[in-house]
Amino acid sequence: MNDRKLKQLFAAARKETAPAPAEDFAADVLRAIRREPPPAAISIVDLLNLWFPRITLAASAVIMLCLAADWGLTAAGIPGLSDGVSQLSAQWLLTPTGL
Amino acid sequence: MSDDAELLERIRGGATDDFAEIVRRHQSRVFAILHRYERDGHKVEDLAQETFVKAWRALGQFDGRAPFEHWLSRIAARVALDHLRREKRRQSEIGLPEFGDDVLDWLRSSDEKDELAARGAAELLELAMRELSPADRVIITMQELEGRSVKEIARVLGASGVAVRVRAMRARTKLRRALEQMAKEKL
Repeated sequence: MNDRKLKQLFAAARKETAPAPAEDFAADVLRAIRREPPPAAISIVDLLNLWFPRITLAASAVIMLCLAADWGLTAAGIPGLSDGVSQLSAQWLLTPTGL
Repeated sequence: MSDDAELLERIRGGATDDFAEIVRRHQSRVFAILHRYERDGHKVEDLAQETFVKAWRALGQFDGRAPFEHWLSRIAARVALDHLRREKRRQSEIGLPEFGDDVLDWLRSSDEKDELAARGAAELLELAMRELSPADRVIITMQELEGRSVKEIARVLGASGVAVRVRAMRARTKLRRALEQMAKEKL
């Protein structure tokens, strides 16, 4: 059996039509699913899985934005975000007496 | 008429009866897929029902990124694979189909111009495919009869694209040999 004859067989088999569903097939399915427990609602884990790529992208964008703002402010001579944090920790948090 | 996404949203919200509309919209496609693996009409109906019940159970997992039809087709293919695995165990009990003269003539003939009727071709193919493993049969059916991509087949079988390609090549060779053997036996 060569390849062309096999292809001919596939082509002929493709043309066969499937049996038509019975008139009340949808009703039968509905009866079957009524015996089933209701479909599980989306859990928090499912939601997190669904949103994880978008949350990752959003978090990366926020980090990049903060870094760019800090770099921009430093370059312009305006105290940057990290300067503010350093100042705050030096003046308030890391003093010998503490808070 | 609302689209599948709207209907599914309503079903998730508790409108169970709307699932009948989903069934009506997709039943022909599901029957067509399952008929490639099972020729008994009653069994096809049972498998189609199993497909829709499984889809119902898994509705929470459908994220709507791909069309519902694709998602449902994958469930149908998995139902067919499980069915083939069950049938493989009791294959000796399944009777061989009686072929007409046209099928036997085509099988014996070396002339590629000979036409073969759809029903005869499907029966012949079904018999030859009994020589394949259930997974190989799914690969050949999806690739050659349904025109699915390697990626789609890999997703149904949970295998890599390379594995699917290699298995498809081997399965085709095995199928060709089975048909040659049948031609010799039927002479």
